[in-house]
Amino acid sequence: MVDNKQQWKAWLYLAPAIVLLLLFTVWPIINTVRMAFLEGYGNLSSLNADKTFEFGIENFEKVVKYKKFTTCLKNTCLLCVLTVPISTLLALVIAVCLNSIKPFSRLLQTIYFLPYVTNSIAIGMVFASMFNIIGGADISKAVSIGIVNNVIEFFGGERIAWISTGSSYSANIAVMVIYIVWNALPFKILILLGGLQSVNKQYYDAAKIDGTSKWRVFWRITVPLLSPMIAYVLITGFIGGFKEYTATVGVFGEKMGPADDPGRLNTMVGFIYKQLEGDHQGLASAASLILFGIILVITLINLKISSKKVQY
Amino acid sequence: MRVKLENLTRIFPNRNKGGDDVVAVNNFTYEIPDGKLVGLLGPSGCGKSTSLYMICGLQKPTSGKIYFGDEDVTDLAPEHRGVGLVFQNYALYPHMTVKQNILFPLQNLKGEDKLDKDTMLERAYEVARLVQIDELMDRKPAELSGGQQQRVAIARALVKMPRVLLLDEPLSNLDARLRLQTREEIKKIQQSTGITTVFVTHDQEEAMSISDSIVVMKLGVVQQTGAPQDVYDNPINLFVAKFLGTPPINVFDGEVKDGALYIGEDKVLATPNVKDQKVYVGIRPEGFIPAEKGALHCSLQNVEVMGRDVSIVSTNKALSSQSANKVIRSIVDADTKIDRNAKEVAFNIKPNKIFLFNKKTEERIIVGK
Amino acid sequence: MAKKLAPQQTLNTTMVEKDMKDVVSTEKVMKVIRTICVYLFLGFMALIILFPFYWMINSSLKTLEEYKWQVPSFVPKTIVWGNYKEAFKAGNLAVLFVNTLYVGIVSTVLSLVITVLSAFAFARLEFKGKNALFAALLATMMIPGELFTITNYITVSKLGWTTGDTGTYAVLIIPFLVSVFYIYLLRQNFLQIPNELYLAAKVDGTSDIKYLWKVMIPLSLPTLISITILKMMGAWNSYIWPKLVAKDTAHTLISSGLRNAFTDANNDTNYPVQMAAVALVSLPLFLVFVFLRKYIMKGVSRSGIKG
Repeated sequence: MVDNKQQWKAWLYLAPAIVLLLLFTVWPIINTVRMAFLEGYGNLSSLNADKTFEFGIENFEKVVKYKKFTTCLKNTCLLCVLTVPISTLLALVIAVCLNSIKPFSRLLQTIYFLPYVTNSIAIGMVFASMFNIIGGADISKAVSIGIVNNVIEFFGGERIAWISTGSSYSANIAVMVIYIVWNALPFKILILLGGLQSVNKQYYDAAKIDGTSKWRVFWRITVPLLSPMIAYVLITGFIGGFKEYTATVGVFGEKMGPADDPGRLNTMVGFIYKQLEGDHQGLASAASLILFGIILVITLINLKISSKKVQY
Repeated sequence: MRVKLENLTRIFPNRNKGGDDVVAVNNFTYEIPDGKLVGLLGPSGCGKSTSLYMICGLQKPTSGKIYFGDEDVTDLAPEHRGVGLVFQNYALYPHMTVKQNILFPLQNLKGEDKLDKDTMLERAYEVARLVQIDELMDRKPAELSGGQQQRVAIARALVKMPRVLLLDEPLSNLDARLRLQTREEIKKIQQSTGITTVFVTHDQEEAMSISDSIVVMKLGVVQQTGAPQDVYDNPINLFVAKFLGTPPINVFDGEVKDGALYIGEDKVLATPNVKDQKVYVGIRPEGFIPAEKGALHCSLQNVEVMGRDVSIVSTNKALSSQSANKVIRSIVDADTKIDRNAKEVAFNIKPNKIFLFNKKTEERIIVGK
Repeated sequence: MAKKLAPQQTLNTTMVEKDMKDVVSTEKVMKVIRTICVYLFLGFMALIILFPFYWMINSSLKTLEEYKWQVPSFVPKTIVWGNYKEAFKAGNLAVLFVNTLYVGIVSTVLSLVITVLSAFAFARLEFKGKNALFAALLATMMIPGELFTITNYITVSKLGWTTGDTGTYAVLIIPFLVSVFYIYLLRQNFLQIPNELYLAAKVDGTSDIKYLWKVMIPLSLPTLISITILKMMGAWNSYIWPKLVAKDTAHTLISSGLRNAFTDANNDTNYPVQMAAVALVSLPLFLVFVFLRKYIMKGVSRSGIKG
């Protein structure tokens, strides 16, 4: 059925996609690598015709030694390590619970999916307002302390400066973890619930006949059978986590930190854009290659683990 | 429309390096007379579907020519050949109603052939009435039974009044009862429209029952062509003999000695003018006549009463490994008296139901008079 | 093996020895308790999920004075619809909405055309290097988008696209028209359509384009709708690229416009108005979700797109 006419027809259909991909995907890969290895490369200086750049790894050295970069790297890793396991475990528990009930199951599923269809900047601002303290650096005399602090005080706790001036780093991180987990749940619940629903019910019937306890069923049947989905959710979670940026912008604004310490919560992606806007394309490229390297390593580790551990 | 195939050959290049190319159809020459129903018959992989696809233009022959009437259509695209094709799984568009499905080919007509809406509808209903689905025009294919879907597919193929109608395994997706009914309907539709029709099947019974003539193929090579009864009565080689007929022909290892045919120790037939050699002997199930002093001795295994007739199952050491069954199956009239408890049964053989084949070439050896 | 079997055997014997009625009734009680716990947990989590939305609406309807109350009110004492009006004006939301809609619609339509054509070529046509090209496309999905953004920013600056009306819109739209992922998704869908339909259409003299339009597109409509919604949502939520390339207010998109409009350094930010703006931005997404939930959830679960 191969028609020779199909040859040029196929290429005609593919032409728009290929042209755009060459320009905006293939060329960037080449050029970004090139810029990363050109020392001190920047757009303004590159306009200077006399200026030539030496090949070298200076950009990488600079980036790695840059304190701002290490802060970003630390923040990103910390957020990843905290949010991915928490959200995955929570999503797994919710999915299993949802799968075990009949009435209200669809309504609850819909509610749990809601955060997916939100603008992460917009809802980030809502979270900021829930945690924010208004009126004065001295929080004991603040006008309004935010609903979260109200709840804490209601239960007899002490108010905390979460994101305002004078807030601690750990409080900042806590807010980000809560927001990111809230935001990440829908996707994970959806995937895991889909996986659960496709598990053959016979396994559970067999376990019931053997008198297996619910706990054992969960760890010995549900989790292993779901392991491909769990692995998938973990890997996308980590990749997404390393690209985290807009959630922080939503809560803290573009200064990426509390008013008295801007940049404290900046992330890898945030760093790349700061460098780009600051006309340091070489540094931005180097940082983005490092990010790519990290994502690649995670993917490879995941492949290695899942080929061993994932059941099926 | 007379369809002429001339040295039609189709070779699929082998994808693996160093492998042999696959010859799907080899040097197929045949002429289908105008207004006839022809069945292409053979086991899977024999090239029958490829032949059909070449006639309709979906596949191009590697070499050879195809003529519709006197017009050479070999290089013509399918839409310019004026063919209708019914697919094995019907290929109805699942999102369109029956009416939209039937109208679809008409809406593709361009230029002079372009029809206005009313004519199109009229034509669609006309052909729907022909295949008796005019009540179902607003249903979706999923809401129809297999037989109804089949008819829609035929209607869709017929609506543009094709010069040649092609059917790919038209009955294989239907259950047994529907198959009988549908094959008669196909014959009826073909006769009332007078469109030259080619269909492909692996079921010899299907082909024999409705075709004006059949083409038996094996591994890309045409074995024999002719009217179904002629082919059945005069198979040209062992393959054709084995392929046609249910139950299948019984094959024995035999030997021609001194002008007579021996199966084992039994001398079953006089064979003048055949030189001495080992042969395959094919005997049709209906070729056995039980007789007390019959020529061929077999050990009786079972007698199956079928109502209209009786099937005698027996064994014989000389039964060839070429035989489709490991037992001899013979069909005799229900009135025939057979002792079920006997250990042995003897048969006389009808001379026109026994065929000899060369042991090496498997070609038919004609027993002269 | 024998050692492992032992405890199970004892468990079985005790089961038999026990009065079966007893077992059944305690099991029933346990089951009820478990069900209650499950519902309590799910309900509590649902409240946490919903709370920010509730708080957003609650806050958006208050006066600034009531918003700052020491003990916040859970229902606004005086409902101020005017906040929404003000948000619309102060945040320049009308321009942001129109810009985002324009960019979203144009890029979705163009993107669908490109995706459909490419997916058709990969699914139905035979050409040299098809598999190699497809594999190469899939490989690019591994690379984080940030890596592209750097060079793309330079490219569009050099092309001089970042200024002027058409230029800015082009920059916002064109670099993201091709999504390898959507091509992949649609190709898989196209491949499920039996080949016989294509051959049948060929025999009937249907052109490729007509077959695509009349058969393949209707048959993969759910996937196309999912892609459309996700693409529109993408435009609505995109932040980084628009912020980078659309510096003038006339071309700002909703996400970056929203964050910048209400982040004045002074402490007199009108929070209720800010929350009203946030609610306004969230509303279209919410409506899309209410009416097209099925397609979104299907699209996300099938494609596994991370938001």
